[in-house]
Amino acid sequence: MVVLLLALATGGGFALDHHVALTSQAMLYVLTVVIAAYRLPFLPSVVCALGSVTAFNFFFVPPRWTLAVDSQEHLIALFTMLVVALVIHHLSASLRKETEQARLYAGRAQQLQELATELANASVAADVAALGKKTLDTGFAGPCLLATKLPDGRLDLPADFDASVHDGMEACMREAAVLGPGTGRWPGLNAWYLPLGSQGQMHGAVCIQNVAAADTSGREHAQALCALLAQTFWRLKMSAAMLAAQAETHRQQVQGTFLAAISHDLRTPLAALLGAASSLQTQRDKLPEADQVRLLESIVNEAGYLSNVTENTLQLVQLTNTAQGIRRSWESMEEIVGAVLARTRLRDPLRRIQSRLAKDLPLIQADPVLLAQLIGNLLDNALKYSTDGIDLVVDVAASTMQVSIKDRGVDIPEAMYQTIFEPYSRNDQSGQRGAGLGLALCRAIATAHGGTLSVRRRSRGGNVFCLSLPLPAEQPSGAPL
Amino acid sequence: MSLRILVVEDDREIRSMMQSALSVEGFEVQTAVSLSEARALLTHAMPDVLVLDLGLPDGDGVELVQHVRKRHALPILIVSARHQEAQKIQMLDAGADDYLVKPFSVAELLARIRVALRHRGTTLEPAVVLHVLDDLKIDLTTRVVQRAGETVHLTPTEFNLLARLARSAGRVVTHRQLLADVWGPEFTDHTHYLRLYMGQLRAKIERDPAEPRHLLTETGVGYRLAAV
Repeated sequence: MVVLLLALATGGGFALDHHVALTSQAMLYVLTVVIAAYRLPFLPSVVCALGSVTAFNFFFVPPRWTLAVDSQEHLIALFTMLVVALVIHHLSASLRKETEQARLYAGRAQQLQELATELANASVAADVAALGKKTLDTGFAGPCLLATKLPDGRLDLPADFDASVHDGMEACMREAAVLGPGTGRWPGLNAWYLPLGSQGQMHGAVCIQNVAAADTSGREHAQALCALLAQTFWRLKMSAAMLAAQAETHRQQVQGTFLAAISHDLRTPLAALLGAASSLQTQRDKLPEADQVRLLESIVNEAGYLSNVTENTLQLVQLTNTAQGIRRSWESMEEIVGAVLARTRLRDPLRRIQSRLAKDLPLIQADPVLLAQLIGNLLDNALKYSTDGIDLVVDVAASTMQVSIKDRGVDIPEAMYQTIFEPYSRNDQSGQRGAGLGLALCRAIATAHGGTLSVRRRSRGGNVFCLSLPLPAEQPSGAPL
Repeated sequence: MSLRILVVEDDREIRSMMQSALSVEGFEVQTAVSLSEARALLTHAMPDVLVLDLGLPDGDGVELVQHVRKRHALPILIVSARHQEAQKIQMLDAGADDYLVKPFSVAELLARIRVALRHRGTTLEPAVVLHVLDDLKIDLTTRVVQRAGETVHLTPTEFNLLARLARSAGRVVTHRQLLADVWGPEFTDHTHYLRLYMGQLRAKIERDPAEPRHLLTETGVGYRLAAV
């Protein structure tokens, strides 16, 4: 480059020789020196200045073709050229440096802004960590490492991490301050360690390797990025805590209503029990025999009802509390229905329940005790809320097994098709004592089996409760004969 | 001489309720509040019926059931709460004859005791060779099964299953016992065999398979062939 510039200037000088004065030829060299000083680094530009002076002297300054200088005047010209070259170089170099610095700052400001925008959309800590790592990698030569603090207090470092990196991160988190070159703390290192967070609210740490003590602006940029990341981690933690608090409040509300519902369901029969029993205890001699029989019957009935409510409640709590699923085995719906009917017939002396089962029903994967309880509860409800016949139909449609219980009782209003399955609601229109938690338990059992339980209007009056259970993809292989 | 019943139950109310209800029916009732007390009473004299509650303070009682069953043919009835399902099945497998789920009525307790006494235990009973109930007749010696006077054709496995239930007529037989006795001990987990074969048997024997009168299901526990 230097040689090319000198050659151009010399060529130009010869082309203009005899047409212009020596001063103009000198100007060509000055131009060369200015261009070189502006574009080239320090050393080449000085070489260029010296070269220009030498070439001008050699080719054009009389006596030509020698390096001798015969007049004072020419010596001054040569010296001036050298000084011009140096001054211009200095000016242009500092300008260039400022431009570069400005560009770097602009880039960093933009990076910070971009990170802030991206972090605003992040909702998981892992995303925040990934974004932070990506930004650090583009912002610094690195290598950079970002580790978040795990719930047990350990740092989430890759398996092959360096022990010194780990120690540095731990130390900067402990001190809640930046460590490394230029910080006054641990200046002997060749990496910066930056904490993510402040004392008492530490979310992790960052390590940026291969950095210089003098790079103050770089360190400040890294600190700004880390502050932004720490803020985001804190925001996520706060929102998670808030959600948990909301869920807890909701749970307590549900539990409260649930308890109110249960205690209502328990208190009513208990009152009846206590009344009947105490009346027998204190007035037995005065009561006619028919009344005594009636009171005893009421005690037995109420106790039975209580036992039912207790059973349903326990089962419901168990179903909604246990995370692990239900115990399943291959079961025959025909068999379950048969067992339920055998029990329900005791309360159905008129045989109002008519069962209709499709032929050759496939086996299902189910907990038979729970399914029996579900169907039993639905049949008991139907017996209680209607006075006509009840149809129990089991068939298979579109890879589901459907158990429908159809009554001719009072229509359940459509607005209640969902609410009646909630643990604390009841369709009180009939004036009968409610099934209480019965339907909530039924739905919980259906859901636990991956099925659904719904209610719809029956044509020509009444309701249909329909249990729909998914059929297993394959039936078990047959038994050896 | 009246029959002797040993009731092992730790709850005072239920114990005294059972004691008075059984005494009224003419049984001579002994009670124990723990397994160790029951063991002490049993070494002294064997009762005619043992009623054993689950969840006693000093153990689950499986050992006691096995111990008694090895030496005596007396009926053993288990009283359990709903959540003791697995333990109840374990007891039945160990040799208990029947079970009652709390809460139960006195009438139910008495009925179960009557059935158990009629069939007296499981080990030393004279082999059942003929089972008759309503229109169903099962002759184990000739391997002939008749419904309303007509012979029912059964496959060998179907007959073996029915015969196993007939030999314990009136008592509950657990899934495990049935699978082990009919198919073999390695099949005790294959409950679907039972679902399929019981379905076939019901289709051949029952008037309404959906509402069986003979082959009764004890949901989650096993099966029972209805007896007089």
